[in-house]
Amino acid sequence: MVPSEVFAALADPTRLEVLTRLASGGPATATELSASMPITRQAVAKHLVALDAAGLVERHPAGREVRYTFDPGPLGDLVKWVENVGDTWDRRLERLGRTFG
Amino acid sequence: MHGDPSDNVSVERSITLPAEPDTVWEHLTNGSLVGDWMEGEVSITPRPGSPITMTPEEGPVVWGTVEEVIPGRRIQWSWRTDDGLPTQVEFELAPVEEGTTLTVKETLLPWTTTGLPPRWIDRTSPSACLTAAA
Repeated sequence: MVPSEVFAALADPTRLEVLTRLASGGPATATELSASMPITRQAVAKHLVALDAAGLVERHPAGREVRYTFDPGPLGDLVKWVENVGDTWDRRLERLGRTFG
Repeated sequence: MHGDPSDNVSVERSITLPAEPDTVWEHLTNGSLVGDWMEGEVSITPRPGSPITMTPEEGPVVWGTVEEVIPGRRIQWSWRTDDGLPTQVEFELAPVEEGTTLTVKETLLPWTTTGLPPRWIDRTSPSACLTAAA
């Protein structure tokens, strides 16, 4: 998954709340999630579509509804990207520093 | 959601070098000097709109465009690897007692700002391709 899309999916506080509830409360449908949140089922469903596009949830069709589970995989990709870029600049700046040493 | 660059993931590092800002500037804008520490062959013209390319010692060529230049103070460009992600790189130079503090910040850009489809950005990821096709 594209790390920037993962981050964008997490940038909305309500969407992050939906994801947090899935991660802590286990699999749930949009109806179940909306029952304990101050937003409509439609609003929850929209956030779930965005989370699905970012690869942060998995869809499991259950009758007329879809049950969602949290998928932590893309978070690891994002962390890995940040680590790699940080390591690269550490190495480059150290090399630059040596030319002035 | 994609509007404000400050919403995006970024990595920032700094180093203080025992040299005047103008000397450090040379090491940021003279291709052969940049290549020495960037670990690759770099072609750069410090002028907004000019291309920048880097052929790393390992991995695909990185290419992009210089966006902002304030000689001796600041240079910014955006680039992307052939199989990687678009990012923005900002360098700022500040004179300090010991010489010059150089700060670099690399920010992940959303693919939507580049006008490129996600499958182009991350063609190795099957889920990204599915997302693009959906």
